[in-house]
Amino acid sequence: MESIRAASVVKSFGTVRALDEISVDILPGELFFLLGASGCGKTTLLRCIAGLETPTSGSIYFGDRDVTKLAPHKREAAMVFQSYALWPHLTVGQNIAFGLEERKVPRAEIKRRVEEALEMVQLPGFGDRSIDQMSGGQQQRVSLARALVVKPKCLLLDEPLSNLDAQLRVEMRREIRRIVKENGLTGIYVTHDQEEALAMADRMAVLTRGKIGQIGTPEEIYRTPRSAYVAHFIGETNIIEGTAIETRDRFALVSTAAGPIAGRITADDWTPVPGENVRLSIRPEAWRLHKEVGDNPVSGRIVERSYLGQRIQYWIETPIGRQQVVEMNPHVIHEPGDEQITLHSRHDDVVIIKP
Amino acid sequence: MKRGPALLITFIVCALFAAFFIYPAGMVVKQAFEGPKGFTLEFFAAVFRNPIYREGLWNSFALGAASTLAALAIAFPLALVGHRYDFIGKPALGVLVLAPMILPPFVGAVGIKQMLGVNGAFNAALIEAGWMDATAPYDWLAEGRFVGIVLMIALNLYPILYMNIAAALSNLDPAMEQAAENLGCPPWKRFFRITLPLAMPGVFAGASIVFIWAFTELGVPLVFDYGRTASVQIFDGLKGLDKNPIPYALTSVLLIVAASVFAISKIVIGRSPLGTAPRPKGRSNSLKLRGIRSLACASLFLGVFLLATIPHIGVVMLSLAERWYGTVVPDQFTARHYIEALGNGLVVPSIQNSLLYAGCATIVALLIGLGVAWVVVRSDLKIRGFLDAVVMLPLAVPGLVMAFGYLALSQDGKPFHFLVGPGGSPFLLLVIAYAIRRLPYVVRSAVAGLQQSNPTLEEAAKSLGATPFRTLRRVGIPLIGANLAAGCILAFAFAMLEVSDSLILAQQAQHFPITKAIYTLLSTLGNGTELAAALGVWAMVFLSTAIMGAAILGGKRGGLFKV
Repeated sequence: MESIRAASVVKSFGTVRALDEISVDILPGELFFLLGASGCGKTTLLRCIAGLETPTSGSIYFGDRDVTKLAPHKREAAMVFQSYALWPHLTVGQNIAFGLEERKVPRAEIKRRVEEALEMVQLPGFGDRSIDQMSGGQQQRVSLARALVVKPKCLLLDEPLSNLDAQLRVEMRREIRRIVKENGLTGIYVTHDQEEALAMADRMAVLTRGKIGQIGTPEEIYRTPRSAYVAHFIGETNIIEGTAIETRDRFALVSTAAGPIAGRITADDWTPVPGENVRLSIRPEAWRLHKEVGDNPVSGRIVERSYLGQRIQYWIETPIGRQQVVEMNPHVIHEPGDEQITLHSRHDDVVIIKP
Repeated sequence: MKRGPALLITFIVCALFAAFFIYPAGMVVKQAFEGPKGFTLEFFAAVFRNPIYREGLWNSFALGAASTLAALAIAFPLALVGHRYDFIGKPALGVLVLAPMILPPFVGAVGIKQMLGVNGAFNAALIEAGWMDATAPYDWLAEGRFVGIVLMIALNLYPILYMNIAAALSNLDPAMEQAAENLGCPPWKRFFRITLPLAMPGVFAGASIVFIWAFTELGVPLVFDYGRTASVQIFDGLKGLDKNPIPYALTSVLLIVAASVFAISKIVIGRSPLGTAPRPKGRSNSLKLRGIRSLACASLFLGVFLLATIPHIGVVMLSLAERWYGTVVPDQFTARHYIEALGNGLVVPSIQNSLLYAGCATIVALLIGLGVAWVVVRSDLKIRGFLDAVVMLPLAVPGLVMAFGYLALSQDGKPFHFLVGPGGSPFLLLVIAYAIRRLPYVVRSAVAGLQQSNPTLEEAAKSLGATPFRTLRRVGIPLIGANLAAGCILAFAFAMLEVSDSLILAQQAQHFPITKAIYTLLSTLGNGTELAAALGVWAMVFLSTAIMGAAILGGKRGGLFKV
């Protein structure tokens, strides 16, 4: 168990800055997620931590040790690749034994640990199979076993589930989290799948264009996004333009085209002054449709609906733009029409962010 | 790949090439332009003023062009049929048509003379059948022997073109042809509008190699006793090397023509937008043929194979013949020549010598080639493209030029004299010459292998604690092992067959490689020709085994000859 720290890491490819002064502190034993759209730099950061890329500037620490210039094979950071990177010229067992052989572990112990690793990923007795006899999900587990068997100080996972079908993906999420926690590993997990991150992460960092948008627990990121980008990337949201009227504690009243709306200020380093332009982020499930009275009333009419079983999704035309509204377990279904309805939202559920 | 080692490899390879490739070739050019009073064009002009040299150059050029066209006429239909259709026995026939490569062309020339000469087997057969007047047999190889040489070279070199074109066609994304079909283009039109333009890089790549090879071919004209080519004139001029600048000038002309052809083909290939296209993953769209059409395709391949093995059959029969003159098959067969060959002072040492020279050269080429391929594919050095181009240059420079430069530089008191071993052993000279000339094959196959193997497989090994060296040994090299083996076997086979370096640089009988031994035996009175044929059969057996191994290991036969 070891902490991992990136300090002002910059990585340039030619004129492109893939990583732009990134600093992250990952705690020992934490399962930390790097999340972002493709091309945001998340895989580059992971590869810098693994030692497969050398940062243009900045440092990477494992515990107190500066490993920025350390060769990858000396880092004790085992990686699970998106393509699995299993060696086709070796069997399943030989693939798993590889790291132990490089560590000069005695033969008998290698045999025992390979079998244990196969059991841990629920593939007992598959050691003699060749790689091309394994299905995608099995290969994924072999690749996980290969990384775990060396008892690394940290485990780096690069979109390990992206090639699996939906059901297996959900199964493997819990599996990976269990294994990381049981072995007391510090894990860094790269993905673009927000649901995966919300379901598995202790904490996560949302990256955008080589910079960190926000770091926090899944709840913090979802409930308290600090920018429109983060709010959009994790979950869906309605963004509303407005002007600050007054602020009190960490709350503010904002004037919008549909009248005043009150909400929370999430940024630590920013408080809007009266008259400043701001943005509001309101999650679709934060709008309530049936309350006769409530906070932040906005009136409009339903223009479209789509029924999704456990929930129903409405698009409602209002003076502040078309709002997306989601209702869980609906017992009344409204039809689109000219009928005026009123939306409400709790002050707590409205997030005020810097435009 | 880290910068340090990559730079080191680049530096070493460039230094080696500067010393053993650029320097000798440059020396030849320099001698051609250096008179007693500095720079002069006089020797150059002298070459073109002399009608004999002019004729030699013209003949060489015509030989190159005609052989290339003839080889193309054989190779292109084969490659196209092989690409388009699945027919009976295709895998085996695809390997069989590569057979000509197992015989040095000048040995084949001996065989073809026996088969198609005035008193050869073919005429004898026609006379026996009553289709030819026994008193006026027709000379199939023509009086000037020019046609015979072209036929011999084309039959020997078409596999290079065939492999290049087949590789180009199999690298085409089948979806490109399917898209044309889908848009309503009939097959014959599709060929001219899609397939042919896209296959042109392969045609040019192969054709430039074949042309340079044929243009400077030394062995076949020597055996046909056709003295009016530039290559033979240079070979004859070797005796008076110290005083006479004309051979240097003549060699320079060959170099300039060869290099220009290579450069032009490079430009044509470079213009092609295919250069960067990724390897297609789509399903091949070769059509499965049945019945008579399948047999027709198979017999095309079989026919070419039979035609191409005429020289081989001639050599084998000659090696077994007691006496063979004016009959279809020899009157009497005997194993005497093989037994006698084993006792001949030239034969056994020459086999040992060739194995040693070619083996060492292959190891050297493998080490250099692997390093170069790694830098080219896995490093981010800016000059890796340059390095890649430099190591392919030996294809552009005729073997004759290099041999000539080495010979001049290894004379007493010259810079390479230290390479001549005790007793005049050409061991180091030949190993270096073979290694550098065969390097392109090793580099190409290693590069192809590395490009196909996913770099994350190596990264995975590093992240599991393997040092860079161990990663190379346990993951990198095993994954491209088949490609490396194929490249090495080709390099080895061609080194065993090498003519110009071997003929020119090996001077004492005890150091002769196989090709020079065969050449020497051919001009020996008595049963020298039969002994040479026996030795040629030995060489065929060695090389066919080697090339079969390469074909099996290399999987798809494409790629090995790509320039």
